[in-house]
Amino acid sequence: MASPLPQVLLDGLFAGGAYALMAAGMALILGVVKVINLSHGAFFTLGAYIAYAVAERGVGSPIAAAPIAAVIAFAFGVFLGKSFVNPVRNHPFALPVGTLACALLFEQAAQIIWGPHPLSIEAGAPWIGPGGLVVRRWGVVAFLSSAALLGGLEWLLSARPGLPLRLIAEDEEIAGSLGMDVEAIRYLTFGGACAMAAAAGALLSPSGAVTPTMGRAPLLLSLVVVIVAGMDSVAAIFLLSIGLGIFGNACAWFLSPQWSYVALLGAVCLLLSIRPAGIVALAGRRD
Amino acid sequence: MNTPLSAEGITKSFGATQVLSGVTLSVAPGEPVGLFGPNGSGKTTLVNILSGLLLPDAGAVRFDGKEITRLPIDARYRLGIARTFQIPHPYPALSVLEAVRVALAVDTGKRKERGGTLEDEEGPAEDLLARTGLFDQRFVPCAQLSQGCLRRLEFARALACRPKLLILDEIFSALSAADEDDLTALLRAANRDDGTAFLLVSHNPPLLKSLCRRILVIGEGRIVRERTAW
Amino acid sequence: MRNAAPFRGGWPAAGIGLLLLFPLSCPDAFFLDVFTTGFLLAAFAASWDVVGGVSGQLTLGHALPFGAAAYACALLTSVAGWPLPLAVAAAVLLAAAVGTGIGALSTPLAGPFVALLTLASGEIAHEAAVGNTFFPGPGGYAWGGEGGIPVALPWRDASPFSSYYTALAFLCLASFGMLRFSRSGAGLILRAVAGSPITAQASGVPIARFKRLAFAVGSAFAGAAGAGFALHVGRATATDLSLELSFQAATFAAVGGRGTIVGPVVAALVLHVLFQGLSLPPSARVLLYALTLLVTLRFFPGGVVGTARDLASRLGGKGMRPPRRRGRNRSGEGTP
Repeated sequence: MASPLPQVLLDGLFAGGAYALMAAGMALILGVVKVINLSHGAFFTLGAYIAYAVAERGVGSPIAAAPIAAVIAFAFGVFLGKSFVNPVRNHPFALPVGTLACALLFEQAAQIIWGPHPLSIEAGAPWIGPGGLVVRRWGVVAFLSSAALLGGLEWLLSARPGLPLRLIAEDEEIAGSLGMDVEAIRYLTFGGACAMAAAAGALLSPSGAVTPTMGRAPLLLSLVVVIVAGMDSVAAIFLLSIGLGIFGNACAWFLSPQWSYVALLGAVCLLLSIRPAGIVALAGRRD
Repeated sequence: MNTPLSAEGITKSFGATQVLSGVTLSVAPGEPVGLFGPNGSGKTTLVNILSGLLLPDAGAVRFDGKEITRLPIDARYRLGIARTFQIPHPYPALSVLEAVRVALAVDTGKRKERGGTLEDEEGPAEDLLARTGLFDQRFVPCAQLSQGCLRRLEFARALACRPKLLILDEIFSALSAADEDDLTALLRAANRDDGTAFLLVSHNPPLLKSLCRRILVIGEGRIVRERTAW
Repeated sequence: MRNAAPFRGGWPAAGIGLLLLFPLSCPDAFFLDVFTTGFLLAAFAASWDVVGGVSGQLTLGHALPFGAAAYACALLTSVAGWPLPLAVAAAVLLAAAVGTGIGALSTPLAGPFVALLTLASGEIAHEAAVGNTFFPGPGGYAWGGEGGIPVALPWRDASPFSSYYTALAFLCLASFGMLRFSRSGAGLILRAVAGSPITAQASGVPIARFKRLAFAVGSAFAGAAGAGFALHVGRATATDLSLELSFQAATFAAVGGRGTIVGPVVAALVLHVLFQGLSLPPSARVLLYALTLLVTLRFFPGGVVGTARDLASRLGGKGMRPPRRRGRNRSGEGTP
């Protein structure tokens, strides 16, 4: 291949689309439940392992694995939201530490169940485009389905079914006084966002090795996205995720794979240093 | 110049709404001043700028002839400007005595910066608590205090630095009659005996008239009237 | 809370006495090793508590000063050839400096963002340690990476007894120091900053400086524990910088009761000896730690010490005990 650049751009675009799905879930949790979910990456990993398990049984398509992963993650997410996040959400210590505990719990469980070694999924033959450009099928699938899901989310939020979410994000007391079951909406949103992360994980699972800690980098990417892009615009989240996906891919390609993780970590540190207010929605809360 | 605190042309806007548009005021040493205004007139914003919680967009705050516009609230406390909060934010786990000792550590020189022992502050802390009527509750965690006691604690905390100027934000709102009487007596005593000036923010005109010699009326982001109450 | 910890009087002495007796009754090298590591981890948990409990600065990257000191020990003795005591002193200083830097970066941040920043900085250090290998000399094995860097020790094969007693002495000294710090004037001010930063600031406390102080002191003790760990294991490895280690410290503190220093020490000893003594594989251990933590956070938010204190006050009808002097207790009477 003459220049790796178009390839890096294309793969980054595909990955970024799926990351946007995950980051939008993170933003949803931030907006409605108003917590930072450090276990979001674990749901991404869960999705990838489910895709692996499904592929092992002969269904080699991420488009089939993603709904299964989403349903399973939704169940786990609702459980986590209802039995842990909701009861402790006003406890400034319990939330970050607790969601991190969930993430580590899942990482270790995955290591015990599937082993610490990287697993890979047979992704099918790619199409070869002009100039030797490799167009991976899973990438096209991941990008298109993420874009479709995000479009659906955008529509849902702006239309009538999204009204309770918008209200709770704005003012919980008013939402409660209108007779909405705020608690239920919170844990259902949490579950839904976890399902989005798992779907992203399933869609992206053929892109590389499936390992217990593979969710950490997407978690940081989502954090960077919600810190910079905020929670208001799905389009901003989508574009920024694609930008970061390309950036991460370029780091992995030109330096080494672990550099994309380090770069994201550095971005988090840098962003928090220059923007101490962090995420606007949480700034008003005292804790 | 005979003014410990003076503010000139204080302007502040949040986004597109201008909250303060050129407030100028001064408080003389030992002078009891009231600040009156309807809700949304910018009282709290002005108090936050005077006490160092907010930076004004334009204008200057001076204290004892020194420019303190950009000084944070803790440095102003050490200079002798103490403020109370309308809604107190108590330390949940600390006892009343400990809460006052934290504030007292300033008074005994630079001790707080080095973090030395605070045993010396037990005496003054207990005196302050006796004055504010909290002595019996000195070992009670702040989280268990009633609203009236929390206001008393705010008062004790503010008095701990022997302030030259007290900025009191609605310290009498939503209090029982007994608590209100005690606190007004305390405020009078601090003003009379220690010569502490104060800027009392309230929307209770009779109270302001009884306590203050001069009342500033704020409306729509500026001082609209100033009257001397006798 | 000043002097309100339930471990007054003889309980710590009795515990130390039992620990002193233990090697004489059970000279099993494996258990001595488990306890030795437990002492160092307990000191590390207490140092987390200085930052995360007493001062309320929720750090999830406390392995950074621990591992930095361990690596400094290894590099300074093995590569630079410094004498051991000098290297240890430099390592502790380095840890304190690292802590001050992290503290300075995190002072403007609130609650969960301190956790994010410390987590990210710890992970950067971990990745740097994993990703860098080098050859110390011709014909040797590669150093660095997951395998870590050996410490050049002046002794060979330290006896498990001497390691045990040295680590126990270190734990006692370090906990005593941290307990003194948390009950000093600075500790009182830090607890005020943790409880309500805005009131502390309105009381004249320069909170940024005190937050840096908390990070510096906590990190220095973490560094001492890390240097001790490197000496005990004979090697600084990437796990010394791992997120799992930071998380373990937070777990011990949450289970034992944040802000009490003694609680995290006891929780670290009990949990570590329990899980390590059962010879569980590392991933099962971390899993159990995470489970323990989740159950504690959900059902006993005050940790063991907090829950015991609540129980005691409910059973005995007592609130807070007055410190070292007579005083009537009026808790519950203040509310109209």
